[in-house]
Amino acid sequence: MNAKVTHVHDVLIVGAGFAGLGSAIRLRQQGVEDIVILERESEVGGTWRDNQYPGAACDIPSNLYSYSFVPNPGWPRSFSGSRDILAYIHDMVDQFELMPLIHFNKNVTGASFDEAQGLWTIKLQRGRAYKARSVIMAQGPLSNASLPNITGIDDFEGHRIHSARWDHDYDFAGKRVAVIGTGASAVQIIPELVKKAEFVKVFQRTPGWVLPRPDLRTPEWNKKLFERLPITQSAVREALFWGHESMATALIWDTPVTGLLERVAKAHLKHQVADPWLRRQLTPDYRIGCKRVLMSSDYYPALQASNCQLVTWPIDRLSAAGIRTAEGLEHVADCIVFATGFDVNKTGTPFPVTGLDGRRLEEEWRGGAQAYKSVNVSGYPNLFFTFGPNSGPGHNSALVYMEAQIDYIVQGIRTLLDNNLRALDVKPEVQQRHNRRIQKRLAKTNWNSGCSSWYLTEDGFNATMYPGFATQYRRQMKTLKKRDYRMQPEGITS
Amino acid sequence: MQLDLDNMLAKIKASQWALADFDWDAPGRETVTENPELYAKLKVFMADLMWIEHVGARGFAAMAKKAEDPTLAEIYRYFHAEEQRHANAELALMKRWGMIEGDELPEPNINIRLVVDWLDTCADDQPLDVLGSVIPMLEITLDGALCKFLLDTVDDPLCHEVFGAINADEARHLGVDFHVLETLGYSPLYQSSIRAVANILNPKLMIGILAYLPLLNRMRDNLVALGLKEEKLYDAMRKYERVGGTEQGRRNAWFRIISLQGKMVIDRGNRLYHVPVDALVKLSDRYPRRLVRPLPSWFKQLSWRSQV
Repeated sequence: MNAKVTHVHDVLIVGAGFAGLGSAIRLRQQGVEDIVILERESEVGGTWRDNQYPGAACDIPSNLYSYSFVPNPGWPRSFSGSRDILAYIHDMVDQFELMPLIHFNKNVTGASFDEAQGLWTIKLQRGRAYKARSVIMAQGPLSNASLPNITGIDDFEGHRIHSARWDHDYDFAGKRVAVIGTGASAVQIIPELVKKAEFVKVFQRTPGWVLPRPDLRTPEWNKKLFERLPITQSAVREALFWGHESMATALIWDTPVTGLLERVAKAHLKHQVADPWLRRQLTPDYRIGCKRVLMSSDYYPALQASNCQLVTWPIDRLSAAGIRTAEGLEHVADCIVFATGFDVNKTGTPFPVTGLDGRRLEEEWRGGAQAYKSVNVSGYPNLFFTFGPNSGPGHNSALVYMEAQIDYIVQGIRTLLDNNLRALDVKPEVQQRHNRRIQKRLAKTNWNSGCSSWYLTEDGFNATMYPGFATQYRRQMKTLKKRDYRMQPEGITS
Repeated sequence: MQLDLDNMLAKIKASQWALADFDWDAPGRETVTENPELYAKLKVFMADLMWIEHVGARGFAAMAKKAEDPTLAEIYRYFHAEEQRHANAELALMKRWGMIEGDELPEPNINIRLVVDWLDTCADDQPLDVLGSVIPMLEITLDGALCKFLLDTVDDPLCHEVFGAINADEARHLGVDFHVLETLGYSPLYQSSIRAVANILNPKLMIGILAYLPLLNRMRDNLVALGLKEEKLYDAMRKYERVGGTEQGRRNAWFRIISLQGKMVIDRGNRLYHVPVDALVKLSDRYPRRLVRPLPSWFKQLSWRSQV
């Protein structure tokens, strides 16, 4: 055998974050061993490696924001910080000996399918291409930092930091800092910046609904209990799951519970903010759940600190010295922190993906991404997505959804390998029927109720969220129905 | 007068200006500071003008929450900021002319104060019909007319330059104001009238009317005291009726009510209107200041400084 012939992997995984690593673990548990994971950075961890800004933490309790097949009895807090979550991911890599599977500094630039051979070819920015019988796209929806479209963004002569690319060497002491954005990252960063910087100005476009976050230290006895009696941790996880599941009735659909939850958020605001004008500026004018709900108990107090100011005037442009707003003033800043989120692939793919007959996924998704059960796309055989179209939860742990996707993908790959198939491709009519139902159900949700959010494309198409309970999602992912797929036999022989 | 709101929003975004765009030390301040008679009158006038910007500002802030069309809501969000910008620019002119010390803010007259107070407490509860009909009247008569008086009186070239920018903003405000006034008349007059009667019975709105009526007479009196002709104020009020009185606009009951009230203001012989309203002006002078609520925290963001 010629040594230069590229090895064909059974499974190639793009990304060594939660999804990629979890997929590798479950595949191995199902007897699939020939796996390679391509990671563009030099460390595992995905979004939790990138988001190490001060105060970074998960807003879902750790006992639910973790894999059920990798329990961690030692979570230090009820809502753990990003360092603890990253440590958990590192532990997972060690415990399941995943390191040999991961090829670091491999930035994927394209994927194309060869129908005759039933193989995917994965091109890299540098180095040789990889070949694999199946590919799992686990690069994550929140992997590319996005800067806002503001005039003069390159004119600013001070320091610029994006929340997902934190500059740990920058000393905020004595600095005037402007924070653009008031979303999930911002409400965590701002309380930390207020402690260090001389003055912090927070530029808000739309206020978010904020609920209190009861972040408690986990007592030692609790950790020991979970360690000795794992069933107790499972019970807590189950209780948390159902607690969050019940929130779907408030957050996904507009029901009387929605109004009740808005009252809770308003009471939280009233309790923490005495000034009526500031309260007005912080009160959203859309239904709770329409955008991502924020969880914080220290954001409002931070905004009222003597060295903090909320600015709600529209931003006109960035200037050399700072930020010009529509009330005609220039807000001088030494540093601007962009807490402006990520480029979520709602209408494209992170790199060109070519399927059967040369079709291009980014072109097909231009009007809005769609898939079958968020995992497969017709015309792109043997390709599986984690966090694909319409898989996002608004009320429960993303990892609950991810586990369901991974187990479904494992079934798909096992079907492919066990039957020695060349192609496992979802039927187009099945995918269309699935999406018609999804969009019909989405039309009745809070996400599609009129506010603009990163859940929607510019045309208002919802390609991100799943309109239902996590229980429903898990049920639909439980079994891969072979009748939904076109199965082409005569796979390659190794 | 139908507008393409998307185009208007793009135009607004492209027409932003800042205090830093002007040279506040440019020659010409002496045309005001070395004219003692003008200086004294202007100080009072500018204080009122700066606060009147807030009547519009607070109205737009309320309308931004009411507008169902997201583009219109965004336009109002800009207009709110632009009124604040006008107040900031007027403060900067006062600073240039030595009318304010340090970070002090000028005091508004009691009628402006009462209207601002009412807007702060009640405007968010008012329907778009009311706000969308009354704001153009206030903009055209108070803001617009007062600026015109100012330019007729003051020779400082910087003042003319600044008000050139302010008036360009105001022209866009009025364009949108009258567009909305017209769209509010899309329902039949009887429906609009029933809604207006229902609104007028709202005690909060009644208090608002009691604050609004004397404001116009007060400003008229102030202008006359400054040696200016009240006829110019009346011209502006007539313009409201002329521009807003399209076929659609006239179906809006609130437009009719406000136009009628405007006619009564202009008619100095209408004793039925002016005797009680002038009495309200006098009465407001006796209004206990301690009953006026403290200024809301938004006033802390006012500044004459180009950079903050």
